[in-house]
Amino acid sequence: MSWRMTCLLACWLPLAAHAADIDPGKDPVPSVMWAFYHKQMLGDAPFVFDDRVKLLAPPFAEDARQVPLEIDARAFKGEVVKILAWAELNPLPKIVDFQPLDRVLPWLSIRIRIEQATPLRAAVLTRDGVWHVGSTLIDAAGGGCTAPSVVRTQPGWEEHIGEVLGGRYPRNEFSRLRVQVAHPMDNGMVSGIPEFYINHAELKDLNDQLLARLELFPAVSENPNLAFDIEGAGQTRLFIRDTSGNEFDASIP
Amino acid sequence: MRWILLIMLSVSLPAMADLEYSLKPRQIAEDTWLLEGSTDNFAKANGGNIVNTGFIVTERGVVVIDTGPSKRYGEALRKTIATITDKPVIQVFLTHHHPDHVLGNQAFADVPIGALAGTTELMHQQGDAMAENMYRLVGDWMRGTEVVLPNQTVTPGVLSFGNHDLRVLGLGGHTAADLAILDQRTGVLFAGDLVFYQRALTTPNSPGLSVWLADIATLQGLPWKLIVPGHGPVSSDPQPFAQMRDYLSWLDQLLQEGAASGSDMAEMIRSPIPERFAGINLNRYELIRSVSHLYPRYERGQMTRVDSGASR
Repeated sequence: MSWRMTCLLACWLPLAAHAADIDPGKDPVPSVMWAFYHKQMLGDAPFVFDDRVKLLAPPFAEDARQVPLEIDARAFKGEVVKILAWAELNPLPKIVDFQPLDRVLPWLSIRIRIEQATPLRAAVLTRDGVWHVGSTLIDAAGGGCTAPSVVRTQPGWEEHIGEVLGGRYPRNEFSRLRVQVAHPMDNGMVSGIPEFYINHAELKDLNDQLLARLELFPAVSENPNLAFDIEGAGQTRLFIRDTSGNEFDASIP
Repeated sequence: MRWILLIMLSVSLPAMADLEYSLKPRQIAEDTWLLEGSTDNFAKANGGNIVNTGFIVTERGVVVIDTGPSKRYGEALRKTIATITDKPVIQVFLTHHHPDHVLGNQAFADVPIGALAGTTELMHQQGDAMAENMYRLVGDWMRGTEVVLPNQTVTPGVLSFGNHDLRVLGLGGHTAADLAILDQRTGVLFAGDLVFYQRALTTPNSPGLSVWLADIATLQGLPWKLIVPGHGPVSSDPQPFAQMRDYLSWLDQLLQEGAASGSDMAEMIRSPIPERFAGINLNRYELIRSVSHLYPRYERGQMTRVDSGASR
């Protein structure tokens, strides 16, 4: 055994021991797929089911194509590396990979499509290497992922791609930032229409300092709605890229 | 084995017999009968009988207002009418296109089924999807139910049926095509779902709460003596109008203020509901639905174009 291997092993052992110590607790929702997603999304890393990660959704989806989700990990402010969210029983489960970097609170609201009643998860990776998993259940009549696009029925929709509606709404210690981007977010599940969706977004300040980074996935609703809570004043800029390489940007005053 | 069969029979027979709407007609005015549904949500326990339907026995024949949530309900309604009068059913009016009001049409296929042009259009667009959802919600009660479109377009005005002159109004706050009927002989106002009473109103097709508020004012201004809401108990005092106005105004203001402060939908559905609405059935459930239906319009009203393409 080379000294390098030994060294690696020595480094690994305490970590492995640490992980084995964590009791994940009881899954708060009935799930047949947790083990699969633990492996697929979190790479079998140590985790806890943690009600300090609040994943808030309506108890049922009134419109399965536009289901509001709120992910609130403010209990871990300053500790968050990234937040992953997914809908377990969706054909395309992944929703978002959100990295609040600077001044952006670990809080996000987003709207998604769901195909059927499903457990929803938001997993928050903290700096100590542990995933904190918030969970909820949502009921649905279904069909949100395979429903024909609403955007594509509107004449001239191509002209409006990348248009952004937005606003800043001052609260006490932070500002709420909201944006709605015109985009069909085609998920490839509607016959004859290939994948075409916004897959990357960044928030920056006026000095080009990166505030937050997002990877978006096809479970996100068409005309995506996003909201962030940001500390401090000053204009915020949003940069967006879709799977066809189109780039858009916006400045929220 | 025989025992098991017997046990299964004794369990399953009553279960099948249970799928019977025991409609109890109640006379609410001269010649006028009401079949009052519960103020609950669609469920397998109630077969979707959450709606008020009614009929007027005129000299010429029977005028039916709404046909209920299923073929089975429509048939039960028709049988119930036959226990009250020998006169034939000569006219059906549909107040609007929602499934709980129109899916009994099959039992009246031999009668003119009248509705506003907009109602027929909406039934054409959404009827099958709504019927499908009803199968999901109430199950076997729906067996055999299919959408039957109206075969007569109603023009608002006064229509005479023997000794009853019916004033038909074409309004739109609930679904954009809402029919209300005032019987000028008895003063009974069939308000359809423009009026919910002690049951939270529903907004899936509402063009806007201000339109609905204007409709309430129009209805209240009519010479009515008894209000028959689409859902909830009848009333001879104007309380249903007051409750509608109060609730609609509250909802409008809630959504307006939420959008102005940048709240998201998931936050809006958790808004506190005032104590005075505690007696209104399903208020939280319908708030969740209404936020989904209406809030997008309010929030867009509080956002501006911010993309760099806007200035080009």
